[in-house]
Amino acid sequence: MELEELPKQHYSDKVKSEIFNNEFLPHINSMYNFGYRLTLDRDDAKDLVQDTYLKAYRFIESFQKGTNAKAWLFRILKNSFINDYRKKSKEPTKVDYQEVETYYNSDEVDRQITPDLRIESLKDMIGDEISNALNSLDVDFKTVIILCDLEGFKYEEMAKILDIPIGTVRSRLHRARNLLKEKLSEYAKSMGYNKA
Amino acid sequence: MNNLNPFAKPDHSKPTCMEMLQTILDGEATRDQKEYFKAHMDHCMPCYKSYDLDMALKQLVQSKCCGGEAPSDLIQKIKNQIEQKSS
Repeated sequence: MELEELPKQHYSDKVKSEIFNNEFLPHINSMYNFGYRLTLDRDDAKDLVQDTYLKAYRFIESFQKGTNAKAWLFRILKNSFINDYRKKSKEPTKVDYQEVETYYNSDEVDRQITPDLRIESLKDMIGDEISNALNSLDVDFKTVIILCDLEGFKYEEMAKILDIPIGTVRSRLHRARNLLKEKLSEYAKSMGYNKA
Repeated sequence: MNNLNPFAKPDHSKPTCMEMLQTILDGEATRDQKEYFKAHMDHCMPCYKSYDLDMALKQLVQSKCCGGEAPSDLIQKIKNQIEQKSS
């Protein structure tokens, strides 16, 4: 089962409805944005969010009232995406995590890999560039940026949502930030922002 | 000196600049770590520059990549489906 393995709760229909309305539904905008960033299609995002909420309701007794509903919902959405949507579209891009770990643990960690990107050119970007750059990242990398920077999840929560160790969350975030800067650096160059 | 560094690892090894910066960026830093890093930036230009750029990027991502609101009919659709399935 994809959900948290907690002792099963027993809720009346009234309590189920309260949990659903008061703890699950308030996260719908964040869920929709996450769904959209993963699928890059508004209709697919709607379907994905709908499936997620239906699953959350079906397994509501696996959720402990008053705990971290947002992380639980994000975990279900991420798993639904991997199991149902990702398969439909294309084979996921293979990411060489060994290389990532090696990079992160090497002596070169203090080397700046995106010196081209300047704060001034970043601030000139109107909006689409940032959004497009994020969307263009491999799904595993954009996911950690969304979870950390947009949704404010902690390492421990991300590790649970993604089923990966905290060390991998950290190294993946590190790599994701660098990839995002590389993308933006390319945009900046193509638009002539970086000319002195 | 190293034992005064709130970023020091359990084995007392010295954290790199990048490790400290990442802890800050990822929102995992304690108050002591934030204070320490602030002081550290006063004499470490690469950290100062990276911090500025990375924080600006983080804030831009926050302001440009939040998707706004979910479609207005979505909640009702979900509720209808649940009602249908439980009836």
